[in-house]
Amino acid sequence: MSAPAVKDHPIHRRWIGQSMKRVEDPRLLTGRGKYIDDIVVPNMAHAAVLRSPHAHARIKKIDASKARALPGVLLVLTGAEAVEQTGPLPCFANPPVAQYCIAVDRVRHVGETVAAVVAESRYIAEDAVDRIEVEYEPLPVVVNPGDASTSKGDAVLHPDRGANNIAHQRTLTFGSYDEDMRSADVIVRRKVRWPRSGAQPMETVGAIASYDEGTRKFTIYANTSMYNYVGWLMAVSLKIPAHKLNIVPTIAGGSFGSKIFTHKVLVLAATLARACGRPVKYVEDRLDNMTSCDNHGSDRIYELELGLKRDGTMLAFGMKVIDDYGAYLQFGVGHHGNAAAQLTGPYRIKSARIELTAVFTNKCQQGAYRGFGSEVNNFALERIVDAAADELGISPVEIRRKNFIQPEQFPYKIPTGNVYDSGNYGAVLDKALEMADYDGWRSRQADARKQGRYIGIGLASCQERSVFSSTEFWFWNHEPGFALTSSPESVNIKIDPTGKAFVTLYSPFWGNSPETMATQIVAEQLTIDPSDIEITYADTDQGLMGTGPGGSRYTVMIAGAIAGAATDIKRKLFKIAGHFLEASEQDLELRDGRVSVRGTDRGMTIPEIALQAYYFRLSLPDDCNSGLDARFTYDHPYTTQPNADRTDLGVFYPIMGHMCHIPIVEIDIETGQLTYLKYVAVHDCGTVVNPMTLAGHVRGGTVQGIGSTMYEHFYYDEQGQLVTANFADYLIPTLKEAPPNIEVGHVVTPSPFTEYGIKGGGEGGRMGVPPALASAVEDALRPFGVKIDTLPITPMKIRDMIRAAQQRKG
Amino acid sequence: MKPAPFQYVRASSIDDALAGLAGHGDDAKVLAGGQSLIALMNLRLVRPAVLVDINRLSDLAYIRQENGTLAIGALTRQSAVESSDVIARLCPLMAEAIRFVGHRPIRNRGTVGGNLAHADPTSELPAVAVALGATFVTRSQKGQRTIAADDFFVAPLSTTLASNELLTEVRIPVWPAGQGWAFMEVSPRAGDYALVGVAATLRAADGVCQSGRLVYSGVGPRPIRVAKAEQALVGCSSGEATFREVAEIAAGQVEPSSDFHATADYRRDLVRALTRRALMVALDRCQKGA
Repeated sequence: MSAPAVKDHPIHRRWIGQSMKRVEDPRLLTGRGKYIDDIVVPNMAHAAVLRSPHAHARIKKIDASKARALPGVLLVLTGAEAVEQTGPLPCFANPPVAQYCIAVDRVRHVGETVAAVVAESRYIAEDAVDRIEVEYEPLPVVVNPGDASTSKGDAVLHPDRGANNIAHQRTLTFGSYDEDMRSADVIVRRKVRWPRSGAQPMETVGAIASYDEGTRKFTIYANTSMYNYVGWLMAVSLKIPAHKLNIVPTIAGGSFGSKIFTHKVLVLAATLARACGRPVKYVEDRLDNMTSCDNHGSDRIYELELGLKRDGTMLAFGMKVIDDYGAYLQFGVGHHGNAAAQLTGPYRIKSARIELTAVFTNKCQQGAYRGFGSEVNNFALERIVDAAADELGISPVEIRRKNFIQPEQFPYKIPTGNVYDSGNYGAVLDKALEMADYDGWRSRQADARKQGRYIGIGLASCQERSVFSSTEFWFWNHEPGFALTSSPESVNIKIDPTGKAFVTLYSPFWGNSPETMATQIVAEQLTIDPSDIEITYADTDQGLMGTGPGGSRYTVMIAGAIAGAATDIKRKLFKIAGHFLEASEQDLELRDGRVSVRGTDRGMTIPEIALQAYYFRLSLPDDCNSGLDARFTYDHPYTTQPNADRTDLGVFYPIMGHMCHIPIVEIDIETGQLTYLKYVAVHDCGTVVNPMTLAGHVRGGTVQGIGSTMYEHFYYDEQGQLVTANFADYLIPTLKEAPPNIEVGHVVTPSPFTEYGIKGGGEGGRMGVPPALASAVEDALRPFGVKIDTLPITPMKIRDMIRAAQQRKG
Repeated sequence: MKPAPFQYVRASSIDDALAGLAGHGDDAKVLAGGQSLIALMNLRLVRPAVLVDINRLSDLAYIRQENGTLAIGALTRQSAVESSDVIARLCPLMAEAIRFVGHRPIRNRGTVGGNLAHADPTSELPAVAVALGATFVTRSQKGQRTIAADDFFVAPLSTTLASNELLTEVRIPVWPAGQGWAFMEVSPRAGDYALVGVAATLRAADGVCQSGRLVYSGVGPRPIRVAKAEQALVGCSSGEATFREVAEIAAGQVEPSSDFHATADYRRDLVRALTRRALMVALDRCQKGA
């Protein structure tokens, strides 16, 4: 597929671009949203889980007799029992890594499910969990990702996949990398460590599973996503035909990626319901979620190199990267596919190389977290660009500006093969510098330093790829396994006999604004007032293809789907109205909910047309059937296959957003504490559907990025114990840790390939903060010669660095 | 995260509460604000057999002045202390420290007595109580006794309060005129357990320090008073140079431990910085009050 045709975007818009209040908010903010824990099914029982206290052990014996004897206990299920009915969980890696909803024979991380109890109440279930006695045989614990290649014997987590703990190893080279490095005047090298942090939605993952003996069918309520994309994989795990499983979505109390699939919880609840003959609710508590769910993000060690000309022109960017995936591989190494979408950032870098080693350790397996690995690449790239600026004596602003891809160069193919659709990086940078009063702060910084105050000015100019095609999940594999190339999104729109619009979405509410987006876009397309539009979510029985939110895709994709369905509806509106008005369809126009004959006052409102369409078949044109509805499945607008040797990964993430973050901070060098003096975030995500909700995404994402940069860490000690498995130790920033005002700016470079020119913006905030804040801290501490190459940058670490620098000076 | 089974006793009088505690030894716990206890119970780290709920004992919630002493009932909510004019006037150090106790919703429920009896070594009120020479009034079925704050705190979550005793009142000498004060702390986030906190008082006149108290949270198993640093203040000129030296002494004297959130070295850094800063603020207030 070559580049698609450039779309014409209408200039005059009624609803798109308005800061309309969120449709979702009234019920959510008044406590009337129905989350998974609000759902009650008749005769429902409650489950709790026994979690492994060991990081790595064989399960020798489980004695559940005392638990079973407790009044109110309905079932205790071990892995050995569960596996008789339920197979391994879905896995996107190839070869797959066997993982079960209850561990069989062996536990591979602290918190892994060892047994599950179903009881009349959650209290009784937890009391029963306490009474289960397990005999473990501890095995060698692997915590350090650097040890993976030399692991042997019992320290190997998955002996069926090889003789050590390397999960995946491959080098991909794009362009004339060695030649470009040879022609470089300088090669800047830097080691960077990105530690494990994770999404922490307010609501944990839950499912309520019922099994109907009569229809032999499961119904599962769950706060999951992707059920209309790959939900049938759960049926495979349960060893039932896909049409005997209906997944009913509930609204989710936040996800940030962590609820993209939630296979462990769904399959566990269904397995328990089948085994005990009662509907079962299992909702993770916070310990369950933090130790064993899908919310752990990337955990990488980089050795980076950037080749440049002495004038600062970037030539080639390469890395050795070790990624600690934990005990299992849920999404393969898709996170590195994702990072390859924008490997070289906004810069005209000619060639690149990735030497990837993904490893198994005794930690919870990685899931998905806002950025899906690209945020880590942003950090690595921006850190080495800052290092190059320092080494070459060029300002951080100028080295970026000098290397930016220029507006007239789009669509621009980067070395990995991905294409960036459009952009204007210089304009984003200029706007950010202006909003931040960058030059003014440089002079205030110099004055402050004379008074012994340490002000730092950070800068990061980063990409936000949006709208994934699914090749990123498999193109790293030597054998593709299941070589997915579709990631469509669907919608159904019904105009009822009274002219109201019923819009069915096939993806869930995740904490984003799908109802608001769909309402504004339907209102725009059909000129229907937003108050006449109703949004509902389809279960899998009713489901059309819906890949769901993730990878900043939903607004772009639902816009495409709605435009497709609305086109069909408009065609029928015009046909019927033309028939009644005795006018040619070419002479009709749709405006303010009315189809009228151009230049006259003759017309019919949508309710008038709809009434005819439903009830008066004999008055309709002959080739018109009753009803007024349309469904549309919109495919990714621009995606191509990777080539066989993976020197070109194809186009897989082309709708390219961009951002520039400028934090200005002051560091108290005695305590290491940081204060925000200013925070500016300028984003370009194309045409903005709703500036208010987008700014919310940017601000929320920025605070989340502050968490990853300054506070949050899933820290495993040498025994593989998760030290930070609660919110007293895993530190999420609150309002008081956030900058008092995150100033949000927008530059609008519409995508030529999407409906209205929209680009995704859901992950942007978090993708820009880490390198921006790291550079601000480094800049503040420049007199001490401190380098920030690992996160989180806690006040203690800042003090350690200052103390070490002071001791070096003597 | 559900607690293990326990027996619940709702006390309607102090005697009722004491009867509930009697005979259960360490298996009985008092439920006041519950802001620490319930979390520990939900994690099943604490499993009391009996929970004696004293929240109906409204006669234990008061703040009043009695003959040169400030008396605070054990069930007084921390938010009541925070908004009390009496506390602001008679115990400004506590008024300053109370704002560091958790977050506002926690202080709405959490009590003064509960905070002290819980004896978290990172907590604010124990350091304040030790710094001000507070006295704790306790009751059991055998009668009433008083315990000096300095004798009350033993180790993390451990006090000299007997298992059948109820802390009923905290008595603090009314603030002496001309005494400066400051409470400062550093915690990972606002409202978190402190890494280091300092409760400081200072009296100075004519440019000379007369006396001072320096009590720290977060640097030992209980509130730590650093007498050597206090003594180093006496007779020295009141000002940054002295405070810098005193801070250095304090940093050298404390023996903090290392944990995930802070190494001993970092805690010493904080003692050094906070001591100097707290004394500077205390001096300023001392001079303004004089």
